[in-house]
Amino acid sequence: MSAESPQPPAVTVENLTKVFKAGLGKAAFTAVRDLSLTVNDGEVYGLIGPNGCGKSTTMKAILGLVTPTSGRTAVFGRPSTRVESRSEVGFLPENPYFYKHLNGLETLLFYGRLCSMSGKELKDRAREMLALTGLEDAADRRVAGYSKGMLQRLGLAQALLHRPRLVVLDEPTAGVDPAGSRKIRDLILGFKEQGITVLVTSHLLEQMQEVCDRVGIMAHGRMVREGRLDELIAVENETELVLADASPELLAEIRALVESRGHGARVVRSGHPRTTLEKLFLEVADQ
Amino acid sequence: MKRSLQALAVLLLLGIAKMPLEQAATREFRATGLLSEPMDLGMRENLSQMGFAAALGGLRSLVATITYLQAYHEWENVNWAKVDSLLQLTTSLQPGYANYWDDASWQMAYNAASYYLYDEKLQPMVRGRLYEEHVRRGIAILKEGLRYLPDEARLWNSLAEIYERRSHEPELAAQAYLEVFRISRNNRYRRFAAYQYAQSARPEFWSKAYDILHEAYQDPRQRTPSLIDTLKTLEDKLGIPTMKRIPDARRSMEVAPTELGPIR
Amino acid sequence: MSASFSLPRIRTLAMATVTQLLRMKIMAFLLVFCVIVVAAGFAFPVMNPEQQLKLLKDVSLGALQLFSIVIAVCATALLLPRDLEDRTLYTILAKPVPRHEYLLGKLLGVLILIGAGLVLMDIAFSGVLWLRQSLVLAQSVAALQQEGTATPEAVAQLKEFVGRQGLTWNLHLGVVAIFFKAAVVTALTLMISCFASSTLFTIIIAFLVTILGHGQGLIRDYFLTGHAGVVKKLLSALLAVVTPDMGVFDVVDNVINGETVTPGAFGFMAAIACTYLAGYAVVSHLLFVEKEL
Repeated sequence: MSAESPQPPAVTVENLTKVFKAGLGKAAFTAVRDLSLTVNDGEVYGLIGPNGCGKSTTMKAILGLVTPTSGRTAVFGRPSTRVESRSEVGFLPENPYFYKHLNGLETLLFYGRLCSMSGKELKDRAREMLALTGLEDAADRRVAGYSKGMLQRLGLAQALLHRPRLVVLDEPTAGVDPAGSRKIRDLILGFKEQGITVLVTSHLLEQMQEVCDRVGIMAHGRMVREGRLDELIAVENETELVLADASPELLAEIRALVESRGHGARVVRSGHPRTTLEKLFLEVADQ
Repeated sequence: MKRSLQALAVLLLLGIAKMPLEQAATREFRATGLLSEPMDLGMRENLSQMGFAAALGGLRSLVATITYLQAYHEWENVNWAKVDSLLQLTTSLQPGYANYWDDASWQMAYNAASYYLYDEKLQPMVRGRLYEEHVRRGIAILKEGLRYLPDEARLWNSLAEIYERRSHEPELAAQAYLEVFRISRNNRYRRFAAYQYAQSARPEFWSKAYDILHEAYQDPRQRTPSLIDTLKTLEDKLGIPTMKRIPDARRSMEVAPTELGPIR
Repeated sequence: MSASFSLPRIRTLAMATVTQLLRMKIMAFLLVFCVIVVAAGFAFPVMNPEQQLKLLKDVSLGALQLFSIVIAVCATALLLPRDLEDRTLYTILAKPVPRHEYLLGKLLGVLILIGAGLVLMDIAFSGVLWLRQSLVLAQSVAALQQEGTATPEAVAQLKEFVGRQGLTWNLHLGVVAIFFKAAVVTALTLMISCFASSTLFTIIIAFLVTILGHGQGLIRDYFLTGHAGVVKKLLSALLAVVTPDMGVFDVVDNVINGETVTPGAFGFMAAIACTYLAGYAVVSHLLFVEKEL
């Protein structure tokens, strides 16, 4: 497949099936069934679906944390079962947690050393990542005292530390307040600009809509729909027209015009467009 | 699944490979005294569950110290049977530690025996009997200890002293002192043995005593008052011709300063 | 299976393990230990001096053994489940860290901690023992002087006698033997925790095997020389194969008593400990390498 092309895709999943063996007397559980997907270099791919649909298992298979029952997964053409496949991946697990006794900077130094980084280069990079994720002020505080949003950002910093070409984010905004959530969204958009490939899961669809190039929708361990986001969500036979300061008379005229000369066209709805609660919250919070 | 079978195989192989190594180590360590002989399973009856587990878990020395302390406590309660059984437990936990044997026999042959001897609530006959029994017990303990530690001069010395002072068996005391001499090469114990032989009711031992003391007399440093006194007595008893007797004038000579302890 | 082997990475993981365990206040045991040693050194003045020194050695080295085994089992049993629960394991293994390096780092971390703990306790214990022995010697010499028998020879003899009961290099070798035993228990516990479903299970099984391991000399004798039936023999044979012989390391009991640890005996113990460490590490790896996280 595409693994043979000169530039292999960032993530390849081919016919992945994962069955978890249960204890004695219990039925085995199939978390993922014959799943295939490809994440191309440089894109933001969203994997969405309800809780328990197999998103996390798919991610773990890509990262080599679980072994597929059948099928294969690869990162930049390298099979996930090999340690080298992880040298260009950064991973942010759902609700990440770090060694409580370390502070923010020490945590990053720890992970950096695991990636064979060291010395001044590591220290500078760690500081840079703390700055990027807005944690400079908390660098010397123990992780035990971090809020959920801070942990999430530290998780991101840790994932980006060794300059990976692919970042895998599992529910990056779960349990984070809207401001923090927005910060994370901005970071993801930033990755895209830098050409970093992103594979992200979430069940918060609105956020996914803002950042993803392509999405796959999973249910019961299978891929149900997959494609470019704008194509997936566009409603082909409707058109939106938003007016400012329109008088009731003007609206009545437009309505009459559609009815008389519409050739079958009709007004589906009209009214005041609503801002999202998220936007409202952010506006109020900013004031 | 395949991996877990591999793991099991490695575990079994390791188990089979290590056995001869451990067997050899155990044998070697026991031979050199670094490890004790395995514990007698019968000991479990006397030790609490915890104590047994601890003793098995490499804390035998500690458990022995605890039973030893308990024995001291029972001594304060004057419960001789308990003292005996606790010290027996202590010595069986650490048979290689001479002090335990020594203490156990001392408790019986001296403390318990004297306690009964002077117990006025008892019939005189019974007192004598109990005294005798406990002295015998003390001797038995030392003999048992000497099976493990045949070259422990201290135990032989204690045994000799019990024969000398408690059971009044001079021939046996002499033999025990000779063992002390064999181990320590200290001439004093040879003289002690001779003094005991001299005390014997049987004349055949007198000449043994005479030979030893006469030989010791040749070394001026050994001419202690006791030696000269005993030698004089033996000369009389054995009817040694005057020519061969030691001169009278030397009878109360000064002792060589290197000799320690009571001058004998 | 990747054959990569990065010492700096293993060191990083080991040091993280050490600090992680230190944070669990494990070293509070050290304070308790010091109290025990001082108490044992000065609490029973009625006994004869030799017995007092023996008591001090018994209690201190007993506490040392207990510390090392309890830490080896409990601390090790906690490590993997905690990392898994906190999902720290995900972030670590999502880095280019082979699983065997992770395991080795954990193993090494616990060993460093136990080793450092034993060194500290050995120093504290040696200090108290030396103090106690000097005191005993001073008292005995004073007694001799009162009797007027304190000749240089007598004092020298006394010094030699007390010296043998007191602090010797041999005692430190006994402490190393305790470390060997703890190292085997650590590797064993790590292996169990690679397949165990809960921390409690790991702790119980590890203690059980450790206790059985202490009775292994008996089991082995039984199976090699006993007159038991086939079933009993097979069972004891299986036990002897599966459990490590902890009794081999129990030389400290007799070292207290003045027996010497010869270089040969020391080498023997080291070889056995290394065999177990290597064997259990391989088994742990085989169990852990495909563990579903």
